[in-house]
Amino acid sequence: MKKSLLHVSLLAALVFAPIAQAADITLLNVSYDPTRELYQDYNTAFSKYWKAKTGDNVTIKASHGGSGKQARAIIDGLDADVATLALAYDVDQLYEKGKLIPKDWQKRLGHNSAPYTSTIVFLVRKGNPKKIKDWNDVIKPGVSVITPNPKTSGGARWNYLAAWAYALKNNNNDEAKAKEFVAKLFKNVPVLDTGARGATTTFVERGIGDVLLAWENEAFLAQKELGPDKFEIVVPSLSILAEPTVTVVDKVVDKRKTRAVATAYLEYLYSEEGQEIAAQNYYRPTLESVAKKYEKSFPKVNLIKIDEVFGGWQKAQKTHFADGGTFDEIYQK
Amino acid sequence: MNLKKKLIPVLIAPLFVGLTFSGQALANDSEELEKLRQLVQELDQKLKVLDRKGELAEEAAAAKKKETPVVKAGTGGFSFASADGKNEIKFRGIIQADHREFLDGASEVRARTNDRAGTQNSEGFHDADSTSLLRRVRPTIEGKINDKYAFRFTPEFGGGSASVVDAYVDANLNPAFNLRAGKFKSFVGLERLQGAGDIKFLERSYVTNAILPNRDLGVAVYGSVLDKKLDYAFGIVNGVADGGNIATGTEYNGEREYTGRLFASPFKDDISVLSGLSFGIGATYTDFTGDKNLNFTDTSAADATRNGLPSYVTEGQNTFFRYGSGVIADGQRIRWSPQASYYLGPLGIIAEYARVSQDVSKASGGSVAAGGDGSNTVITSGSNKKLDHDAWNIGVSYLLTGEDASFKGVKPKNDFDIDKGGWGAWELVARYSEINLDENTFKDANGDYRRDANDASYSNTNSAYADLTKSAKSAQTWTTGVNWYLNQNAKFAINYAHTSFDGGAIVGGGTGSGITTTGSNVKDRPDEKAVLARFQVTF
Repeated sequence: MKKSLLHVSLLAALVFAPIAQAADITLLNVSYDPTRELYQDYNTAFSKYWKAKTGDNVTIKASHGGSGKQARAIIDGLDADVATLALAYDVDQLYEKGKLIPKDWQKRLGHNSAPYTSTIVFLVRKGNPKKIKDWNDVIKPGVSVITPNPKTSGGARWNYLAAWAYALKNNNNDEAKAKEFVAKLFKNVPVLDTGARGATTTFVERGIGDVLLAWENEAFLAQKELGPDKFEIVVPSLSILAEPTVTVVDKVVDKRKTRAVATAYLEYLYSEEGQEIAAQNYYRPTLESVAKKYEKSFPKVNLIKIDEVFGGWQKAQKTHFADGGTFDEIYQK
Repeated sequence: MNLKKKLIPVLIAPLFVGLTFSGQALANDSEELEKLRQLVQELDQKLKVLDRKGELAEEAAAAKKKETPVVKAGTGGFSFASADGKNEIKFRGIIQADHREFLDGASEVRARTNDRAGTQNSEGFHDADSTSLLRRVRPTIEGKINDKYAFRFTPEFGGGSASVVDAYVDANLNPAFNLRAGKFKSFVGLERLQGAGDIKFLERSYVTNAILPNRDLGVAVYGSVLDKKLDYAFGIVNGVADGGNIATGTEYNGEREYTGRLFASPFKDDISVLSGLSFGIGATYTDFTGDKNLNFTDTSAADATRNGLPSYVTEGQNTFFRYGSGVIADGQRIRWSPQASYYLGPLGIIAEYARVSQDVSKASGGSVAAGGDGSNTVITSGSNKKLDHDAWNIGVSYLLTGEDASFKGVKPKNDFDIDKGGWGAWELVARYSEINLDENTFKDANGDYRRDANDASYSNTNSAYADLTKSAKSAQTWTTGVNWYLNQNAKFAINYAHTSFDGGAIVGGGTGSGITTTGSNVKDRPDEKAVLARFQVTF
């Protein structure tokens, strides 16, 4: 009797062992507005990769919105396993306001935790009726400019800083003139969306404005989806190197016991396949081999870096976007 | 968007009509045409911007709504909560204004001259005093934080002084596992767990008020399992005397009391006559052997629990039983209480039984009798005894106006409204309740009836634990009444309670005569006949 029981137990263990080992895991990626398509493709690829590697089924849920708003949501309790936001300052807030990640989070992954980059370009209507070629064209009277609100959108902050950097360069680093320049730009903005995707909707679907200040990937996507017969991309003489950054949210992954898979999820962004997917979705890859492969897809732009011109995100945020900052001064609508 | 669709044609049509019919001169003026085209484009953009701003305002309003705290003011109280409902504070309350009209009855145990002024009647009793009073005045603040952690604070301002009724925190980790700490209702008796505003009679029965604990300090785990068909609760508390409501800390002895309760509703999901049947059992255990807090001053009503022992009161809240002054709880106290409720349509029934086995001893010494820094308390050798008291009741309620009865309050189908003709809900109630004390309570170690140690002429060695010519050994009460629910928040209730007693008085009356060793000169305390009325508002 004892032997029979032992045999049955062993058999049951053998039959059920593989089933018991395969875990069903869910991850929540809280990201910014225009990454919907990128992560839709990437999540599918990563799930396959993880299944092949570990046998576990991983389902990735995604949340998208204005980068600043998304950071606030995580601080307020949204259980994000990973945050993939538009700029390092918003990720910094997860440490500053919520102590959800360590202070040196940016050192944990390559390229300061920016697996892909982008920049800011102009999307104009076919034929470029307002003849917009560079930043000084978008501040002309009668030009309607679409950009989201820098208070809530990471992309909008990149737009703002790119314009400011252009003005500085063309006015011998005169801050007052740069401020005047950006004030004129925002005088031409008829409506402020909270996120980049909303601004794209305003420009593309609602037909408002002469030029959309857009993420490069967003501009390419709009052109691809609606046809080059409707929109044109204009690359300004100077723009900014936008570095969307990613992190594991430590307190959440430790609570949910998802650290290993969440870390792998971000690391895979740096892999050849991850970089390919980024490039296919019009993000500039950081892996040299992939960057070279897609070299012709991305126009050459004179890109300034935020650290060089603005002294880093913390300083830029405090000077320009904090309550009472320069943006509040110039945008009095 | 609609605005745009309507306005653009209105604006554009006259322009093109003008263009078409204004003649060759205008048609040839390309500059003028270009201006008009630009004007149309500008107007079109302005309309689109207006539309888009409207869209964004709607989106912002919808997003804000998700974050805006929700303020509620209704029949369930007043509250404000976070938009997701995970954080909330509620303000609730209950006020009960009572009147007790005694047609007959006594106010205290016989011949208690030490703490009562006024003249006793020939039987040695003071008449029960008819009185109006505020029975309960209890504002409550309760709330939850992060959906899992809750608190409740209820002070009591009724009865002329302020005290804390409930003050506890809950960790609602899972429906099957919750943790409570602080001062709270003991998870033992059924009727005790019914809200003060929901009880069917003005006063709870002897089971609840006399035998089982009221509120205590400690911790408890509780929850519902098996599809919420079985409720369980286990607690470790300071321990209070029968019917006791703990004050602030350790009452009598450092030993903990352990409480437990299982309560099943096995047919709750069925559609049958048994779906409203629930039953269970509650119990408590403690052992007061060892050091005791004997620094009490007297065994008058206010200090009754300081010797670890209770006094028992009638439905009219008059004391009919009290231990002798030198008697203390000493040893185990075990209570157990089977209980059941049944609801079917307008019919509701609650039945409970409770039994307490209480070890007692007699003691002498300065602090026992006189308080203060008197001589050391000495437990009288050979005086320890286990006394078994029990009580039971069955209460029936019937709603005349078509509402369904339940363990919780009644929500009238039609609120009372003179203008609209609503009469609220009407309910008839009836209950039988009795309590029986161990006969040995009134005897000495030899089995003879004796006076208790209140009488100085008797020594501790040959006195009883209570004097049967002063305290009754049992009480039986019939209660009938009517509840009128004006609405969910207001209720008028009137009860008539008739209580008869065994013992508690002496043949011939007076205060000086003693009980015979056979108890032959014991007679019954006069019946209590009381009309109890209440106007109650809860929110």
